[in-house]
Amino acid sequence: MEELHIALAGNPNSGKTTLFNDLSGSNQYVGNWPGVTVEKKEGRLKGKKGIIIQDLPGIYSLSPYSPEEIVSRNYLIEEKPDAIINIVDGTNIERNLYLTTQLLETGIPTVVAINMMDVVRKNGDKIDFAMLEKELGCKVIPMSALKGDSTFAVADAAIAAAQNVKKSEEPHVFGGAVEHALAHIEETIEDKVDRKNLRWFAVKVFERDEKVMEELNLPEEIRAHLEEHIRDCEKEMDDDAESIITNQRYTYIQELVARAIAKNRAKKGLSTSEKIDSVLTNRLLALPIFAGIMFLVYWIAVSTIGGWVTDWTNDTLFGEWIQPWAETMLQNAGASDWSISLVVDGIIGGLAAPLGFVPQMAIVFLLLGFLEDCGYMARVAFIMDRIFRRFGLSGKSFIPFLISSGCGVPAILSTRTIESEKDRRMTMITTTMIPCGAKLPVIALIASFITGAWWVAPLMYFMAITLVVISCIILKKTKAFSGEPVPFVMELPAYHWPTLKGLFLHMWERVWAFIKKAGTILFVCCAVMWFLASFGFSDGSFGLVDETEASLLAQIGKALLFIFAPLGFTWQTVASTLSGFVAKEGLVSTMGVLAGLAEADEYASNEVVAFSAFFASNIAALSYLVFNLFDSPCLAAISTMAKEMGSRRHFWYALLFQNVTAYAVTLMIYQLGGLAAGEVPFSGYTIAALAVLGLLLFLLFRPDPYADGKHELA
Amino acid sequence: MIPLAMIEAGEKVRMMKLGGPEATRRHLADLGFIPGALIQVVSQRDGDVIIKLGDTRLALTKPMAARILVE
Repeated sequence: MEELHIALAGNPNSGKTTLFNDLSGSNQYVGNWPGVTVEKKEGRLKGKKGIIIQDLPGIYSLSPYSPEEIVSRNYLIEEKPDAIINIVDGTNIERNLYLTTQLLETGIPTVVAINMMDVVRKNGDKIDFAMLEKELGCKVIPMSALKGDSTFAVADAAIAAAQNVKKSEEPHVFGGAVEHALAHIEETIEDKVDRKNLRWFAVKVFERDEKVMEELNLPEEIRAHLEEHIRDCEKEMDDDAESIITNQRYTYIQELVARAIAKNRAKKGLSTSEKIDSVLTNRLLALPIFAGIMFLVYWIAVSTIGGWVTDWTNDTLFGEWIQPWAETMLQNAGASDWSISLVVDGIIGGLAAPLGFVPQMAIVFLLLGFLEDCGYMARVAFIMDRIFRRFGLSGKSFIPFLISSGCGVPAILSTRTIESEKDRRMTMITTTMIPCGAKLPVIALIASFITGAWWVAPLMYFMAITLVVISCIILKKTKAFSGEPVPFVMELPAYHWPTLKGLFLHMWERVWAFIKKAGTILFVCCAVMWFLASFGFSDGSFGLVDETEASLLAQIGKALLFIFAPLGFTWQTVASTLSGFVAKEGLVSTMGVLAGLAEADEYASNEVVAFSAFFASNIAALSYLVFNLFDSPCLAAISTMAKEMGSRRHFWYALLFQNVTAYAVTLMIYQLGGLAAGEVPFSGYTIAALAVLGLLLFLLFRPDPYADGKHELA
Repeated sequence: MIPLAMIEAGEKVRMMKLGGPEATRRHLADLGFIPGALIQVVSQRDGDVIIKLGDTRLALTKPMAARILVE
């Protein structure tokens, strides 16, 4: 049997995701639409064979201005689903029907599902469904996705609509002059497009939609002929074609709503949502309340519960159970020493660190998912926008920065809530500069090396925030990220309790994506790192080496030393940095291995003595720390970034930017700071560092070459 | 006509005209900002506003609110 494709379309906050989860359960596939960072979700209808549900992004219209709108309209017109389920927020029918009228024009069989009926009934509003059905020319079904009420009736109606060959009558949205022009256009282009989509194309031609005109590629004289009709209409209505269409749509909807819906006017005063908002978005209380909530999230996810589960997975689950178990198993099976070492130390040991973050990630996503689903995140973005706009980011970037102090991988994933692609990419590039949990041991190590240096940790966080701000300002003045941050207009959905099912699905989707990654890319990398650290040339032959100094890793460290020498690195710190590119946990453990310490007890005092050979001076130790905090993140975060950037070019740009920034900052600290402290002599590198400083100041303070004076409204 | 960013909380105004780049105007129109639409300002703080447009509550920061001219 042929598979049926049903598209789910609706406004943001109309309950689309809830319906999608209800209809497809856990049979979901989550990916990205090709070429953009918009999430693509596909699922199979529960309890029926061969029905695929395609969740389209939440959109307000089918104009081609946002990536979400473009993705949706391309899918509807090019992939031609068999039916559309259009979800309409019953408490806000007028705005939602705007998209409905556009969906109906595509000629695809449509079922309108009026959602949130529980709230509509509670408000005492009455909706005349029969009249809506008659006027819109499609099935209209009341439903409540949150309560799981009538959701499958909607799916059945969509299947029935898809199988019904008879074309339903389109609603009469447009009036006299416009309808006249549209009829002319339809007549002219009817051989050029799919008959089903004729009305849609006619309206788009009337609006002079660039994408459609390009696609139709009409001969010049026909174009001129159509243009004449459009101009005549514009002259008659004294407005431009696009506005005429928008206004007529709204006029049609307003008239329809006035007839079909009886609003309960008796209930005045503030709704519960408005009362909550009067506190949460209050002029004085907004920021303190927000800080309190974020502190709570951080406290639960990083300091307490999250920290405990991470420690447990790392130390007990992997350290005491899995690793010894695997070792005994392999020994009993008679495996050779080197293969045991590969599996136990290399692969399991390497994977343990990133996988140890899984429980913590789950908690972070659960908490943030709650804030997102209940409607608070929309308010947060609004509150923070005023601060973040100053350095070219939107308010929504705050969340990734916060999560990044725990782990960069969920931080990068959480940038998905940022609509603007530029803002999203810029957040991804800068967010991992905030020291994550895995970087804490190395901060502690260096702090104890520079004896009594309590100021190291706070200084590093302060530097991180400063670097993020400076990076954003510099990036904003480059061509790729130029332009005003997208002006902020956002719907504030009514507050409501999220469903547990929705929260867990949301969380699982992201956690699973990470586990899959760890199981593939990281797996290979761990094996490679182990190989480099364990094998080498000794006594003229290649093989397993006892002395780390003879390992390939040491050889590579020595070969690359010339690059890092201006930063005060030794070959040991270079080797340690290399393993830091795989996982930041590797920074300290590699140094432990290189120092010949059997047990890497992270920052015990004997290590401080052992490591003194690696650092010529305090400033060299500091420089090592700074580079490793601000360079590209660990491999897990890098591969997440590669996927989320949605563009190879931007991904490489990001990597380059992160490492060049780290190098430049470290060079200045080592050379200039060292000179000031009397630990580093004046040399050619000092001049280079001064040049870098000059360049940095120039990039920071130069006037924005892409600034468009017109938008300066402040 | 004055920008929406300058209207005080509690006032009701009528939307007149949209400014700014084409994409922004289009997006605002899609959201229901059409000439004649009734806008109620719920809260305002240095130009950042929360409004009620029909049954929708929308938050707009100053650069956006400054592009919506009302009366």
